[in-house]
Amino acid sequence: MDQVIEQYLDLSVMFDSQNLDEVLHGFKYTLMLSVIAGALSLIWGLVLAVLRQLPGRLLAPIRWLTIGYIDAFRGIPMLLVLLIIYGSLGALYTQGVIPEWLGIPRWFGLPDPFWVGVMAITITYGAYMAEVYRAGIEAVPPGQMEAARSLGMSHGQAMRFIIVPQAVRKVVPPLLNDFIALMKDTSLVSVIGLIEVVQAGRDIQAETLNSSALTLGAILFLIVTIPLARIVDRLIARQQAKTGRGGPESPVTTGIAGA
Amino acid sequence: MEANSDGTPAFTNGPILRLENVQKRFGDLEVLRGVDMELNRGEVVCVIGPSGSGKSTLLRCINLLEPPEDGHIFLEGREITHQARAERAGDIDFVRRRVGIVFQQFNLFQHKSAIANVGLAQTKVLKRSYAEAREKAESLLKRVGLADKLDEFPDRLSGGQQQRVAIARALAMDPHVMLFDEVTSALDPELVKEVLDVMRELAAEGMTMIVVTHEMGFAKDVGTKVVFMDGGVVVEEGPPKQMLENPKQERTQRFLGLVLEH
Repeated sequence: MDQVIEQYLDLSVMFDSQNLDEVLHGFKYTLMLSVIAGALSLIWGLVLAVLRQLPGRLLAPIRWLTIGYIDAFRGIPMLLVLLIIYGSLGALYTQGVIPEWLGIPRWFGLPDPFWVGVMAITITYGAYMAEVYRAGIEAVPPGQMEAARSLGMSHGQAMRFIIVPQAVRKVVPPLLNDFIALMKDTSLVSVIGLIEVVQAGRDIQAETLNSSALTLGAILFLIVTIPLARIVDRLIARQQAKTGRGGPESPVTTGIAGA
Repeated sequence: MEANSDGTPAFTNGPILRLENVQKRFGDLEVLRGVDMELNRGEVVCVIGPSGSGKSTLLRCINLLEPPEDGHIFLEGREITHQARAERAGDIDFVRRRVGIVFQQFNLFQHKSAIANVGLAQTKVLKRSYAEAREKAESLLKRVGLADKLDEFPDRLSGGQQQRVAIARALAMDPHVMLFDEVTSALDPELVKEVLDVMRELAAEGMTMIVVTHEMGFAKDVGTKVVFMDGGVVVEEGPPKQMLENPKQERTQRFLGLVLEH
């Protein structure tokens, strides 16, 4: 029994100063990936959602392209996107098609797997988040757009000042859920060579035949994700209390991205 | 001579609004089957009729929220129902600068305070300065009796208060014509009067108005003309007293019989 517990919770492995350094260094990458790719996904998702709602026959091709993009990247595993980008950028650079700064992106002194990870996550989660924003935009009563247009605002002005601000408020909880999923998915970037927290734990596991460094990684994830989950719960409860008092249409409360 | 907000001289000749054979359908449903109407400056036309008769659609056609499929609308002598795509944007701008609308469901911007509701389009559409827009919003909200509610959000206001903010919001754009789409239908009975009083005042000040309503008392006191619509056409129109007390058409008589009975 002791051996079983030791396999997962050997404190001497967990807090060995070199191991601890490696795990924390890995977790730093995990956090940086989550924050940078998370912020970019939030922006890219909103751009996609707004493009999808453009009015009129003239802009229909843009709408179709956007829908095609969202459908595609919601349906492809992120791992595959990651591998395609990583391999193809390197190859295109070697063939002289694209410059080095793009082929092997090492911006701000961070390694190229990091930036390829940021790209793959943003491309994929942008599509997820676009769908969340869309649900929020569609949950704003149509009378809001009509009132804005009747006062002489253009479609763009109405979206910017009236529709999107209300939509975003409605979808904060599902967006946070997506962010939690995104954070967990950053571990996939290890397959192209980034030593984030999971890969760091794996390396130690291979060396010591002990899994405690991975357990430590799990604990680090939970320290971030559990408070986030509680915040989501509280926001949903607050929104429901509001709608229960006869407030505006009930908001969307569930995320759609699975981990 | 007063000028328009976009600098063009004010319009003075002929009817301010003229509808010719306006038609609108939604799929197979013909909602408007050829409506003709004329509105002169300072007139208050009250449109009555059973639900589904096309009254609301008529208002939505006039300000091009639902562009009519056929027929012509002239606002201040200019056609606003061009079919060519290139001209439509110009039509819409022209109408929205001159025609204000107030909706049954208020449609206040839920994330903005009362004063921001009234101020926003002034700064974004008319490019007024923030200070100017705020001053105007404040004076309009005072005028509709909401001087003490400037910073309240819509969900903290009663229906009657929200509707008065909505009226102020439309007036802030200096419209030449105001459209009212059953603006008291969603209100509790005790809140109807405060909204109608604001509208009465507006009419007394000479605002040109089209009022779709079930308030026959209002139509009789304030209206300069009553129009009865049924089945997507104007069945009968005339002076309020005659229309409400001695309608000529049998359909009008039947409708008024049902409405005034209780």
